[in-house]
Amino acid sequence: MTDIQVTSPVRDGVGASAPRPDGTLKVTGEFAYASDLWMDGMLHGATLRSPHPRARILSVDLTGALKLPGVEAVLTHEDVPGAKLYGVDHADQPVLAIDQVRYQGEPIAVVAADHPETARRACALIRVVYEVLEPLTDPRRAALDPSYEKVHAGGNVVRHQPIRVGSVFEADVVVTGEYEVGMQDQAFLGPESGLAVPAEDGGVDLYVATQWLHVDQDQIAPCLGLPPEKVRLTLAGVGGAFGAREDLSMQIHACLLALHTGKPVRIVYGREESFFGHVHRHPALMRYEHGATRDGRLVYVKGEIILDGGAYASSTPAVVGNAASLGVGPYSVPNISLDAYGVYTNNPPCGAMRGFGAVQACFGYESQLDRLAEACGLDPVEVRIRNAISEGSRIATGQIVDMPAPLTSMLEQVRDLPLPEGVSTDLRDLPGGVANSTHGEGIVRGVGYGIGIKNICYSEGFDDFSTARVRLEVIGEEAAVLVHTAAAEVGQGLVTLKAQIARTELGVPNVTIAPADTQVGSAGSSSASRQSYVTGGAVKTACEAVRERLLELAAKKLSHDGLALSGGKIVSVSGIVVASVAEVLGDDVIEETREYRHRATAPMDQLTGQGDAHTQFAFCVHRAVVDVDVELGLVKVVELAAVQDVGKILNPIALEGQIHGGTAQGLGLALMEEIQVAGGLIRNPSFTDYLIPTILDMPPMRLEILENPDPHAPYGLRGAGEPPTLSSTPAIVAAVRAATGKSLMRIPVRPEHITGT
Amino acid sequence: MRPFAYERATDVRSAVATLSERPDAVYLGGGTNLVDLMRLGVVSPEMLVDVTRVVDATIEESAGGGLLIGAGVRNGDLTADPLVRGRYPVLAQAVLSGASGQIRNMATVGGNLLQRTRCSYFQDTSKPCNKRRPGSGCPAREGDHRNLAILGHSSSCVATHPSDMAVALAALGAVVHVEGRHGPRTVPMPGLHRLPGDEPDRDTVLEPGDLITAVELPELPFATRSRYRKVRDRASFAFAVVSVAAALDVADGVVRDCRIALGGVAPVPWRAELAESALRGAAATAAEFGRAADIELAQARPLRDNGFKVPLARNVLVGVLTDLAEAR
Repeated sequence: MTDIQVTSPVRDGVGASAPRPDGTLKVTGEFAYASDLWMDGMLHGATLRSPHPRARILSVDLTGALKLPGVEAVLTHEDVPGAKLYGVDHADQPVLAIDQVRYQGEPIAVVAADHPETARRACALIRVVYEVLEPLTDPRRAALDPSYEKVHAGGNVVRHQPIRVGSVFEADVVVTGEYEVGMQDQAFLGPESGLAVPAEDGGVDLYVATQWLHVDQDQIAPCLGLPPEKVRLTLAGVGGAFGAREDLSMQIHACLLALHTGKPVRIVYGREESFFGHVHRHPALMRYEHGATRDGRLVYVKGEIILDGGAYASSTPAVVGNAASLGVGPYSVPNISLDAYGVYTNNPPCGAMRGFGAVQACFGYESQLDRLAEACGLDPVEVRIRNAISEGSRIATGQIVDMPAPLTSMLEQVRDLPLPEGVSTDLRDLPGGVANSTHGEGIVRGVGYGIGIKNICYSEGFDDFSTARVRLEVIGEEAAVLVHTAAAEVGQGLVTLKAQIARTELGVPNVTIAPADTQVGSAGSSSASRQSYVTGGAVKTACEAVRERLLELAAKKLSHDGLALSGGKIVSVSGIVVASVAEVLGDDVIEETREYRHRATAPMDQLTGQGDAHTQFAFCVHRAVVDVDVELGLVKVVELAAVQDVGKILNPIALEGQIHGGTAQGLGLALMEEIQVAGGLIRNPSFTDYLIPTILDMPPMRLEILENPDPHAPYGLRGAGEPPTLSSTPAIVAAVRAATGKSLMRIPVRPEHITGT
Repeated sequence: MRPFAYERATDVRSAVATLSERPDAVYLGGGTNLVDLMRLGVVSPEMLVDVTRVVDATIEESAGGGLLIGAGVRNGDLTADPLVRGRYPVLAQAVLSGASGQIRNMATVGGNLLQRTRCSYFQDTSKPCNKRRPGSGCPAREGDHRNLAILGHSSSCVATHPSDMAVALAALGAVVHVEGRHGPRTVPMPGLHRLPGDEPDRDTVLEPGDLITAVELPELPFATRSRYRKVRDRASFAFAVVSVAAALDVADGVVRDCRIALGGVAPVPWRAELAESALRGAAATAAEFGRAADIELAQARPLRDNGFKVPLARNVLVGVLTDLAEAR
């Protein structure tokens, strides 16, 4: 690596609000999503799913489906040539159900036909005889009652992670609470879609909307009985992810059908099917007990967090790890006894969603901090300041926070922002909005605060890396850069950012981003707020390697020592431009591939939870101001203010979008978003009945973005996408509590919780 | 979705004749509800008869001093109409509070009256539902029913009627003009929608072939003082948890007359006749409004998880009437 300081005059480099290449296409409806994939002669796949959350399959009769004209294949588990089970962490999920079903919507058979409607009708002609069993839907019993029936033979506890620190569990002030978090959905707009194309070598090419191409490949190939190199994936247009595309949905099914028929097969889920086609956020049952001195300094925390993982493991183990390690929040707590459980039930499978285990815990510990403030007669901000960690502190796992953690100043900053003015008279600004619900009478204002801690990147010893291939050559007499990674653009703006980094590092304005595919090494998942860090780091590192070779080439061709790259030109020690990049390159092509790893992390001790499990921490603080109609139970969030430390701003407008979006998702969890599950059955699988915030529900935001660099991270950056999702929820609920005096132990808060009826 | 035939009607009579002969055919208006239900497999008609070009789509003054609203008027046009806004603000507000702008621009007055329930078991063809499949059972009674009925339900069905517009029309005492096999007739509101009893599959009193051609609003001068208020789970594009449509005629602090209907609480737009009679001649005070609400809601039979609707309906009703009493 050279020690050249690149002062980048290049347009749209790191730090600029570079425009998104996909932005205009998306807002004009021209962007090609995975559901738009098309090939002449392709078949359409459909999936037969279980209507029951728990049943034995006594028989499956395909006769009617096979007879339907236009149907080319009807497959069951018997047609899966390789491994019958798959899973992102743990292979426990059947490709197609074998003898039993464990959740409503579990795939039993797949059909390929000449038209999507033919395929769906064929599904309806498959006769399945079930022996319906009583579903196991109680996560507490699944966690704690050994006599509860088992969803899987190995037992119902997917992971139990204790945290044990210290031994003093007595204090002058003790506050307790039992909290509940409903099942939130990622609610992405682009349903699960992909196109599988059989290849001449006996393999298959899959074009699919996903979050991590290589982990899909790792799961698909064994089930198809193929070596990984014969299962090639290319990212198709992704319409949002938020964790819901970490697990496979239609990938193996489409490949099976394509290999079976020898024809391309496309599968596109409908909206209702999508609710059964991906995992959701774990619902949580939490008990907390916080002990403190009379002046509000924490002595101990006892806690129990039960996360309902539903029928299959998905990423439950890692979600439990986060809930446990971050379970007391960004606070210094000398004594901790906390147990986090992830369990199997016959409820819908739950896995990754933005915030990943840290969201549920944050609602619990922040609610507790407010109770503690009240018990000690302290301001909610003050009680947080008295306990907040700072650089050098230890979190619950004993890990030292070796990066800036300016929580005290962040809390002061958000508290001191001016408050919005009094109650508006515009209907759109009042609880209930244009439904004329109120005219300002009976409105009570409340203010609340929330703060969260989120680990960035994969944790607990995971070998977390990304790969970037960067190619520099002359095209049309100009230097041009091609950046190739397998990282999934899921709407977060990574395609834009990779080009910004290449422009900054190489000073070349002309940067092309190659489509993400498995022809280059793994980039890891577009999850855990990690791609700017890890893939950004890989692109930066590969660019540095290219730059080094360019300068070697320049030294050789120009017979000149001490050259540097500055402003896209080759310059001498004295700063004189010696040549352009294109002149140095001529017909030569420089291509370098680099892997980038963040600092290694360690597993958590199985009995005490101790260990340096995380590589980076990120923090966001919210202040919520709400107006509540206490008679009608309606909440209008008037303003959300946030202070977030991102280490380094790479793209201001994209960053603000992340904070706005994360905050809105937290608002949804606080006030309306919940998959209603009754007896293991999803009752609201539509965007008419699963409510996400509209623009009328989401208030203007006031943002303060800090740049305290993390010395371990590229550019000093900190992952930014998840932290706002954590803290907006407890801030809003705290504000509603302040307005109503209600305890509000469950989210989402509904009108009846406020009217208390 | 199953295959179906599509026919564009050329006139009302022939459309009625077609549907009278073909029980497997249904009328198509804006399609905002019907097409959804077809996609879900809840209904699977063999034939759609598009009546959007043959039913009247204008709003005009009626001979009786009220308004005659063509069944083909789009919800978006209804809520924007100056006559409606001026004389029957409750109706304009009710329509505006429903659905989204795009849906209101498609949905018709006739179709809105015939919306099917949003009960999740009705929408889910893998589950029993007496309204969808008579005799199959009602899982909502013991299952997910937070937003279902507290009034007028039966052992066979606890669904709610989803329309906001119909609540305002029930309060105003609208008259529905119907063209049927035996010619034109009128059906008063309330009276169009029927309580489930043991035939929950029949939402209305309409007979096969009946086509709603218009809705007539009676002359009701005091309806200039009317209001629709709706409680829902988000600020836009959500069905009512509880709603109230009310018009109030107050003189010298005394209620001379009133019209009240409740939405989101019953299988039909619920005209609150008991509350109305309790209020006529009573003092226009919050206490009296509360007493009237209590009388009406004494009939409520909440389910396990929707008891909150009783006091919520009371609060909304008292709030709306108090607002109207204070309005000048």
